[in-house]
Amino acid sequence: MIIPISWKNIWRNKQRSMVVIVAITLGTVAGVFVAGLMNGWMNQRIRDVIYMETGHIKIQNPDYLVNEEILYSIKEYDNIQTYLDTMPGIKHWSARSKVMAMASTAYGSTGITLKGIDIEKEKEVSGLYKMLISGTYFENDSRMPQVLISRKTADNLKIRNYKITETVLDSLIALDIPNETITKLNTLQNERYITRKKFEKAISGVWSVSEIKKYAPTLINTASYIHPGSKITFSFTKANGEIGYQSYRVCGVFKTSNSAFDQMSAFVNHSELVAGTGISNHSFHEISIILNNKDSIDDICNSLNTIYPGSTAMTWKKLQPDVGMMADFMGVYYYIIMGIIFLALAFGIINTMLMSILERVKELGMLMAIGMKKIKVFIMIMLETIFLTLTGSVIGMILGAAIIKITGKRGINFSGVEEGFESFGWSARVYPNIEIYFFFGIIVMVIIISILSAIIPAQKALKLKPIEALRIE
Amino acid sequence: MKVIEINELHKIYNESEVKVHAVNGITLDFDEGEFAAIVGPSGSGKTTLLNMIGGLDSPTSGNVIVAGSEMSALRGSELTDFRLHNIGFVFQAYNLIPVLTARENTEFVMRLQNKPAKECKSRAEEMLNAVGLGNRMESRPSKMSGGQQQRVAVARALASKPQFVLADEPTANLDSKSTETLLEIMEKLNREENITFIFSTHDARVVKKARRVITIEDGKVVSDERK
Repeated sequence: MIIPISWKNIWRNKQRSMVVIVAITLGTVAGVFVAGLMNGWMNQRIRDVIYMETGHIKIQNPDYLVNEEILYSIKEYDNIQTYLDTMPGIKHWSARSKVMAMASTAYGSTGITLKGIDIEKEKEVSGLYKMLISGTYFENDSRMPQVLISRKTADNLKIRNYKITETVLDSLIALDIPNETITKLNTLQNERYITRKKFEKAISGVWSVSEIKKYAPTLINTASYIHPGSKITFSFTKANGEIGYQSYRVCGVFKTSNSAFDQMSAFVNHSELVAGTGISNHSFHEISIILNNKDSIDDICNSLNTIYPGSTAMTWKKLQPDVGMMADFMGVYYYIIMGIIFLALAFGIINTMLMSILERVKELGMLMAIGMKKIKVFIMIMLETIFLTLTGSVIGMILGAAIIKITGKRGINFSGVEEGFESFGWSARVYPNIEIYFFFGIIVMVIIISILSAIIPAQKALKLKPIEALRIE
Repeated sequence: MKVIEINELHKIYNESEVKVHAVNGITLDFDEGEFAAIVGPSGSGKTTLLNMIGGLDSPTSGNVIVAGSEMSALRGSELTDFRLHNIGFVFQAYNLIPVLTARENTEFVMRLQNKPAKECKSRAEEMLNAVGLGNRMESRPSKMSGGQQQRVAVARALASKPQFVLADEPTANLDSKSTETLLEIMEKLNREENITFIFSTHDARVVKKARRVITIEDGKVVSDERK
């Protein structure tokens, strides 16, 4: 009986209830969406860490952790390899050798870690091959050793080329650059310029000073590309302590959402790195492992450490403690956001409920006079508050989930601040998503907030004396 | 059989300042099945007396005994429970629950008594038929006239079969035709259900229908006539 009365009571003053419900709905939508956005970011970051950088578990030589020397390779590699192939729970694994090197071209040089990978096995543990922005993921019939570098490295080594193609002209038209200015570029069309300087010189031959001032940065940006096939020479310390050199041809260029990773990584075929550095065929510095079930991560990591005490297995959370900590903290963080929103809304709810009670003092007096116990009056007011809040938050959750579903498919692009995001390893395009359990958490939170907000109004009602309340006209 | 015994009842307001003796030593009995009116001018103390009989107000001294139990001995929720199970109330301003239909309002007291829903429904329908509102069962109070609302209030007061019904100026807001209908209905129910009715009123039409008229002035009974 009390439940239907409470529900009906909130619709007595439709306008007032709707104002509160709309406020709660908007607050919930905002909270759910922000949580979805953060969660999308977090998941992407975790995915990137696992599938680009560490795997679920990484095995290394403990000495290598202290000093990244070429000699500190995994000691029991052959045994570990057999074990990983037979151990249930392990989905894929791939070993890499790492060499600190200096990469140089005719135009620039940069420090880098050369990672020797098994190109087929690497595909199973890393999404690197999906991150190519030009070229290919290693070619079979190359005479020269091949290297995959990042766009960032290409920039650092100044191996960006410039070419005005049909597509470039089309995009300039789309950018509202005057036709006559674009027409002047026709003579340069399909000409390849291997340095920015040469390209700028060519532009200055056809464009006026004012045109250069106005449009040159856009043109340079649009016409730039990385020419696969550029040569890079790497110098490094060989296994025997001597300085070694090896030249590689760029077969492809990748770009991940972590610019620090991009800047520091170049990938080559392990066998070619072996040939250049003089390390053994079975010499690897890290093994990246992907598991079938991420819940078994600690168990598998512990058993690896027990069985192979000469090597150190670490989970991704240990290897990237900042991301691990954030992943653990995020669940709480979403609820803190929701908590703050609901706390602010609670004042609106209290106000509405107080008004609703002051309006029907006489009726509450009558209810108590005819025999409704105070506890039932209290429950009735409590339920009214819960219904009011729950209605708004359920609508808010449905809308929030719908917005997350839509934006989660397309992604939201924060391209304006891309560089800033990527320097921290965060993707500029985020795909919001949220787990279902978060909504259960919100419902529990809404009920708690409703009960807390109902206390003051309900107390007000409990203090009423039926005889006095009945006298009110 | 005595339903209510009132012994030397006093009610003094403003005890610390200027004392107002609202009820000044009233002793009365009510038998089962009475149809009694308490009359008197405004401020004579009839509503205060009614409130003390109904357990809504506590006497300064004296006592009210209903069906053998002394009401002043009851506290808080016991008193609420006592009212729920023993007394039916009809108020001057109808005081129905606006969000409930006539039937739901009539059922309300029985539902508070935790009676089975089916029983509540059939009794509410029986009572609404008895007060001539069989065709308005699903109407909300706002869609009914004052007279109809007061008939719903009477149906609600009687539905739970209380020991007695207290009605504080039940006709004060009604026109003469509605007053007449209501009085007829109350009298009929008083006879059929053998429920004691006690009114406070200064409406001559109600006084005319009452079988016992108690006149109060300055908090004292000045006459007690049985017809």
